[in-house]
Amino acid sequence: MWGAFGITALVYPWIVGSSYAVHMGIVILMYAILSMGFDILARTGQVSVGQAALFGLGAYCAVLTFEKFGIDPVLAIFLGGLFAGVVAAGFGFATLRIRGIYFSIATICFAESLQVLALMARGLTGGAIGVSVPPIFDGNITASYYFILALLGGTILVSLIIDKSKLNFAFTAIRENEKVASVMGINPTKYKVLSFVLSAFFTGCVGGFYAFYITYIIPYEVFGIGISVACLVMPVFGGLYTIEGPLLGAVVLKTVEEFLRTTIPYGHMIVYGVILVVSVLYMPAGIVGLVKKRFLERE
Amino acid sequence: MLQCLANGVLISGLYAVVTLGLTMVMGVMGIVNFAHGEFVMLGAYVTYWAFTLWGIDPILSLPLSAGVLILVGISIYRFGIKPILSAEAFEQVLLTFGISIILQNAALILWKADFRSISTPYSDMSIAIGPINIGLARLLTFGIAVMLTLLLVVFNKTKVGKALRAVSQNRKAAALMGINVDKAYIIAFSIAAALGGIAGTLSALIMYVFPLMGGKLGLKAFAILILGGLGNIWGTLIASLILGISESIVGTYLPQGSGWAEGLSFALILTVLIFKPTGIAGVRRE
Repeated sequence: MWGAFGITALVYPWIVGSSYAVHMGIVILMYAILSMGFDILARTGQVSVGQAALFGLGAYCAVLTFEKFGIDPVLAIFLGGLFAGVVAAGFGFATLRIRGIYFSIATICFAESLQVLALMARGLTGGAIGVSVPPIFDGNITASYYFILALLGGTILVSLIIDKSKLNFAFTAIRENEKVASVMGINPTKYKVLSFVLSAFFTGCVGGFYAFYITYIIPYEVFGIGISVACLVMPVFGGLYTIEGPLLGAVVLKTVEEFLRTTIPYGHMIVYGVILVVSVLYMPAGIVGLVKKRFLERE
Repeated sequence: MLQCLANGVLISGLYAVVTLGLTMVMGVMGIVNFAHGEFVMLGAYVTYWAFTLWGIDPILSLPLSAGVLILVGISIYRFGIKPILSAEAFEQVLLTFGISIILQNAALILWKADFRSISTPYSDMSIAIGPINIGLARLLTFGIAVMLTLLLVVFNKTKVGKALRAVSQNRKAAALMGINVDKAYIIAFSIAAALGGIAGTLSALIMYVFPLMGGKLGLKAFAILILGGLGNIWGTLIASLILGISESIVGTYLPQGSGWAEGLSFALILTVLIFKPTGIAGVRRE
């Protein structure tokens, strides 16, 4: 199944032909990375309601390093990711010691305060007007597609490594029972911060890529609640703590959203809310969980 | 300066009412209700429509919005909160966040993103006390907020109030003592929703009504809750005053202050969580 998925993803731009379809592919891949980024953090039992903070940090860092120092966009994107990771490390050490709920509240505040900061620091960020940059790869969207596909490959690889290494045990132990985990010699804060930094790096890279792909960023967009919501609903819907789940969630939901955007211009995000509530109440293991259950019952 | 202090104090009443609803649910049920801000938003719309369609004065629509919100609250409790009461905190956050997204976007679909406001005969009136000018509408909201808080203090002393506190301390022990925990939760959630509705009416009097208003107010309430410590009415009041007054000062004295003031509550939350996670009241949180 993985092979089929990989080959489809590789030849996709050649099959579809239309640039709109390639653009949709890029958007879906971006959200697939974001949703895997959320999942890496979720494995330690932490819910970030403010992934937009990391996304926006990556976006602004990438754009500003390009604008002020003339750094190559591709390098700037990775700098954006690194910057988000470093900030996440500091933020994580400060807030991940306390109970999970407070971390969730802190993340949503983090995104909101960065939005205010970006709006007010006009000299640097251009305020509400935002910043414009020339398109990445001179607007060649096939190149953009392969770039973001490679980034997704990297994310999947990291996620796989976590899954197969002893990190998986540490993360799961912290998620299931933090006290027991720390008695067993696992330092919960250390692992939580590690997962948050990894999550931040990929989220920040996507933010940087988004900035150069869309060619302009404004605080309301990149630090907006819409991005945080998408980051959270997609993996929950697809199935948390798996590799397929977040991918599947991003593909399905982004396609649905694109369809809805044209039919309901305002408030189409309501679907995200409904899906979130239904997922939590009736399918806590997501689509992947449902499918697995079906298979096991048949056997 | 006095004027600026007075404005800060007056707005803090509204903040306190929003926060008290949030603490009620968190204290008794142990659930962080991310949808509480949306309760406020719904309350504000009830008041707005009651005023625009039937000419009902906002103050008279207080019981109406409280009642509507109790109905909304009970149905949300019954179909959403109850099944996940003993689930992980993780799932509870996701669920209430989902409800908040639904309510916000339902409001966007129904009423569009327009900023609406009510103008009553008294909304432009003000009273001068020495050098200070106090808007009548603001004074009214503050008065109602103070009354509600006192009511809540009295309520905590009644039999039902004591039962709620027992449930919040130890769910199992309370059940063994013959307290109906499910009923206690319904009561707590209804009171919280009613407080949200009332806060909505109050905010419709003094600010714009729009679908996303709940998000901002809800986050301010989180800031106050974290600063004031959980389940502590006095802590909540003091924290509301701190937030209200500091917002007013920043808004008045900094260049482009009102923009910065919006970020103040978030900065406050981050500072408290980082340096003193127990809040000013010093209540220990597990």
